[in-house]
Amino acid sequence: MADDIRRLSEALARDPASPVYLQLGEALRKTGQLDLALKVAVRGLERHPHDADSHDLLARIAVDRGELERAFDEWDMVRRIAPAHLGARKGMGYVLFKQGRYVEAQAYLSEAHELDGEDETVATALAMVRVKLREAGAQAPQGPQGPRQVHPEDTEDTADPADRDDPEHLRLFDQINEGGEHTALLLDATGLVMAGTYVTQDGRDVAQEVGAELSGVSDEARRAMRHLELGDWSSLTVETDAAVVAMAPMRDDALLLVAATKAMPLGLVHRVLDRCVERAGAWLTKGGG
Amino acid sequence: MKTNLTPIISALTRQRGVRGSLLVDETDGVIIDATLHVGMKGPAFAALAASLYRKARLSADAAGLGGVTFLRLRATEGHVCAAGKNEMVLVIVADARANIGLIRMEMLKALERLVI
Amino acid sequence: MISVAEPWVEAPLKRFVDDSRVTFALLIYPSGQVLGQSGFSRAVDVMSAAALAAGIYATVRELGRTLDGRGFRDVFHAGAKRRLYLAEAATPRGTCLFLTVFDEQSSLGLVQLYFEELRTSLAQMKVQVPDAAPMLDENFEVELNRNLAMLFGRAPGRRSITPTS
Repeated sequence: MADDIRRLSEALARDPASPVYLQLGEALRKTGQLDLALKVAVRGLERHPHDADSHDLLARIAVDRGELERAFDEWDMVRRIAPAHLGARKGMGYVLFKQGRYVEAQAYLSEAHELDGEDETVATALAMVRVKLREAGAQAPQGPQGPRQVHPEDTEDTADPADRDDPEHLRLFDQINEGGEHTALLLDATGLVMAGTYVTQDGRDVAQEVGAELSGVSDEARRAMRHLELGDWSSLTVETDAAVVAMAPMRDDALLLVAATKAMPLGLVHRVLDRCVERAGAWLTKGGG
Repeated sequence: MKTNLTPIISALTRQRGVRGSLLVDETDGVIIDATLHVGMKGPAFAALAASLYRKARLSADAAGLGGVTFLRLRATEGHVCAAGKNEMVLVIVADARANIGLIRMEMLKALERLVI
Repeated sequence: MISVAEPWVEAPLKRFVDDSRVTFALLIYPSGQVLGQSGFSRAVDVMSAAALAAGIYATVRELGRTLDGRGFRDVFHAGAKRRLYLAEAATPRGTCLFLTVFDEQSSLGLVQLYFEELRTSLAQMKVQVPDAAPMLDENFEVELNRNLAMLFGRAPGRRSITPTS
């Protein structure tokens, strides 16, 4: 990645009008160099003020910086410049979801779904929003503690019969995850997601990708234990530049995976992992559904 | 065989609960330097811990999580901790009751001092 | 995919391949006759690898004797993408050579670790030792071809590679 950044920087230095700033800004964003990424994106935008991708890049950087309002405005601009831009709808839906404005989030995600009905990430995000809407609908009559932006009548409108088969697997860990900057996945022995979600800050559901990539690590752990005379493994924690990932083995060679932000104390990550293991164990005992 | 890395490795092994510390070549999975308690299977730990660390590093990268800074495998009878630098992996094997927070900190400090 | 000329080789060889995640594995007699293989898809490749492995091993043993007073026990070569490990293993049928090729999915440390297990398993196998018979050159060629045909499923059921006379 560092080599890519160097190469892209040199290319941009040679030709400041080149669209390579988009790749450079994204590479910087992915490596967490948000201030630099922002500078590159802003300079690019100065040269290409009507380019939808420039605004999209700026929005992604803003999300990573925690500037949700700014991100929303940039994606709104993208939508005006390029009305069929799928990423803008997904991004706006994500921002609204994070803000607890589920009805509005649903509207943008529905538009995204209309633009591309095959996009699984949109379908998953939409399902999550609907889960939240129904929960909010159930809480609203109890008092003002429910999400303020949600009106019970809105949830009635959206609750079509198909949604009653709501995917329990998507919200298996919702109660544990609530309010925390972490997410949980239950993977089967082949690395496929059985339950839970993994949504990135820019609204993409990457559960399958992350699950497929990281499940192989547990195979290594299992193999290692046969020779190391340390008993069975109970957890594996991997600290990375972007996150802390903790894994635990489940029955039938399934794997429980919790991913948390780096800001979360390691002890707390393990506590969350233990709770998710308990929850998933009960769910699997029930037959997984 | 002692190398200029031996003092760093040995200091880690003196931590309470640590059974052995090894510096391992990540690609080959063989020991560069190690200080082990009697009876520990050094080559097996080296090969398997390096492989685990490498797999975690490649998987985390592929999953878009960036580089791996620290890895800890917890088992019923102990822990394996690993941290890497320049295609080397520093591996610690510790008892189940060892203070992993302290060991982690010492490992990360030791890794900064390792120069090959 | 594993194929063997003698059934007692199959389980330990399969375990080695599964554990170490090597690309190719080949167990041969020092003469070049094949006991079992994994990863090869063509008989001609097995034949070449077996002949080369036997040749390399004979050479490095001799080199070891000259330089060190005793033959080298194993050989490791690191190529750009693939690595090769060659070592001997004692079996009830006598000493065999083991050649394996691996990439970044495995490592020298893992291969050595699991090869020690394989070596132990092979040494402890309960196999009926056939009557010694001279290994004539003419028999060797016939036997090698039969052996390869068996490994790649083109010969009927003979599972022993005891030299014929």
